[in-house]
Amino acid sequence: MSQLPTTILSGLGVGLNAVTAEVFRVKPHTSLPGPAKHDGDQAGEKATLREAVDFVSAYLDELAEKVGETSAEIFEALKMLLEDEELFETAESNIDSGWNAATSFVMAVDEFGELLAGDPAFEERFADLKDLANRVAAKIAGVSLGLELPTTGRYVLVGEDFSPADTAQFTDAVVGVVTIAGGPTSHTAIICRSRSIPAVVSCAKAADLIDGQLVLVDPVGDRVIINGDDSLATKAITFVAKATEPIVPVRANIGSLEDSIAAATTAANGVGLFRTELLYLSEKVKPSRDKQAQAYAEILAAAPEGPVVVRTIDAGSDKPVPFLDMPEEENPALGIRGFRLIQNHRDFIVDQLASLEVARAKTGREVWVMAPMIATVSEAVEFADLAKQAGSFKVGIMVETPSIAMALNDLAGKLDFISVGTNDLSQYLFAADRMNAGLGTLLNPWQPALVRMLEKIAVDSAKAGISSGVCGESASDPAFAVVLAGLGFKSVSASRSQVGAVRSALSSVTQEEAKLVAQKALVATTAEACKANVLEALAALS
Amino acid sequence: MATVTATVTIEDPIGLHARPAGQIVKLVKESGLEIRMGKAGEELVKANSPLRMMALKAKTGEELSVEIDTEDEALAQSLIAQIQEFLKG
Repeated sequence: MSQLPTTILSGLGVGLNAVTAEVFRVKPHTSLPGPAKHDGDQAGEKATLREAVDFVSAYLDELAEKVGETSAEIFEALKMLLEDEELFETAESNIDSGWNAATSFVMAVDEFGELLAGDPAFEERFADLKDLANRVAAKIAGVSLGLELPTTGRYVLVGEDFSPADTAQFTDAVVGVVTIAGGPTSHTAIICRSRSIPAVVSCAKAADLIDGQLVLVDPVGDRVIINGDDSLATKAITFVAKATEPIVPVRANIGSLEDSIAAATTAANGVGLFRTELLYLSEKVKPSRDKQAQAYAEILAAAPEGPVVVRTIDAGSDKPVPFLDMPEEENPALGIRGFRLIQNHRDFIVDQLASLEVARAKTGREVWVMAPMIATVSEAVEFADLAKQAGSFKVGIMVETPSIAMALNDLAGKLDFISVGTNDLSQYLFAADRMNAGLGTLLNPWQPALVRMLEKIAVDSAKAGISSGVCGESASDPAFAVVLAGLGFKSVSASRSQVGAVRSALSSVTQEEAKLVAQKALVATTAEACKANVLEALAALS
Repeated sequence: MATVTATVTIEDPIGLHARPAGQIVKLVKESGLEIRMGKAGEELVKANSPLRMMALKAKTGEELSVEIDTEDEALAQSLIAQIQEFLKG
């Protein structure tokens, strides 16, 4: 039997298990043609439109059948709207005015939309009707909208990147996912991690994969292998704990009361990042100090034993808090966000700290407070003063900007601790927008420049007598957590689901061994080599 | 042809929305008759288009006039009763 030659495509792995299956390519979302006139065949356009409406109508029948009796009514109602005679007549008169079938129908829907504007019960339906109009237009243009995924069999889904709407449609037949763009924190990566679907993201060469090809998705090896099979899968390193306690404390990241309760069921040593903005994003008016204090007290009381590191509000014009005035900005990531909000909203930050103090006193918990998006020593000092006046907290800052990373020596005696947000630090260090799906490789935490900057932060903090930790996404990767401890960080904070794995990793090595592993990371010149060096060093230890 | 007229009241808490509009249109089509509906004092619209019916923006508690072109008084009354039923939500 002849063996087909294998080809390796590198990317960024998500998950620990490998899978081999056939490629199923998702066609790129084709944009619909813009409004246009027809070439004079009115009867032909009307017939085309009728056919397309019938096609979409049949599609609604299919959906209704799929969802079963209870939700089928929704599709039946939509079908009534789609097949509305007056809607079709309006479209026909648009065709008579010269517009082509697709344009005429979309216009007709918009005309009814205007007629019905302001009626909340209709507006929801209108969005659905618009979607149907687009489907009619897509049918006419001969393009496919959205995902049509197989429901049986086993496939590796290959596409540019997947939106939340796309991932919601993943069927059980999707056993692996490969994206051309997208990074380790993309929506696709998050969903695949939570649903335990092996994935490789940011795999540029995946653009060449074709339907039916057999591929191995090897997330641990950060690669996809064409014609590969399970025997080529990179083994995940299993960490065998040698000590009962990790070499540095492992804390949990939380954002709500539910998170706090769930984190308490893990072995986390306190909370390393409590994202407070989630409490405010849905509030229309500023909550009173009492209400804030109550919410904080509940969350503090439920949190896992140990210190609770609270981050003051981290919002910006891209995730605005409704009751704070946050004008639109050209570059929200580089705008007035995090602690910079103090320019216009000092009262809010003061209130937040005061409420936290009430909650701290009430629950008797050890609370550390830190401000996000600090760029200068004076900002750090301003926050430290504010926090010390407000209550009995340990006081610190997030290190996310390269500018503050260069000034840690000047903070000696002014702060108790710092915590590194590696996602934002990567974004600002590499000038790579976190939201840009095409920049995943720059945002890879194994990039040598990031690892070296982290080393500087750990070393300078220690010299300045400031305790240092990492609460970014990278600390949730067990192997990377060992590197962080080896670089000299005094704690890490992981997402709740990763606390156990990170604890095992950090209990399987000694501080000396972690240091050696970190040295291997520091000498690498590419992200791939950096990760490979570390995995090799870890494997040699076990 | 004779026309039977009546008044119905929107009792559905969210007004004359898609579902009752769809149910009425379905009934109208099945009857094969021309049925018109609208707010009193305004021009009535043909009840064969759910979008047009929703565009009446009839709210809970509002009354709508119904006109049915038919000689069959009993049939008309039964249709009106069913329309009223759909408007109960």
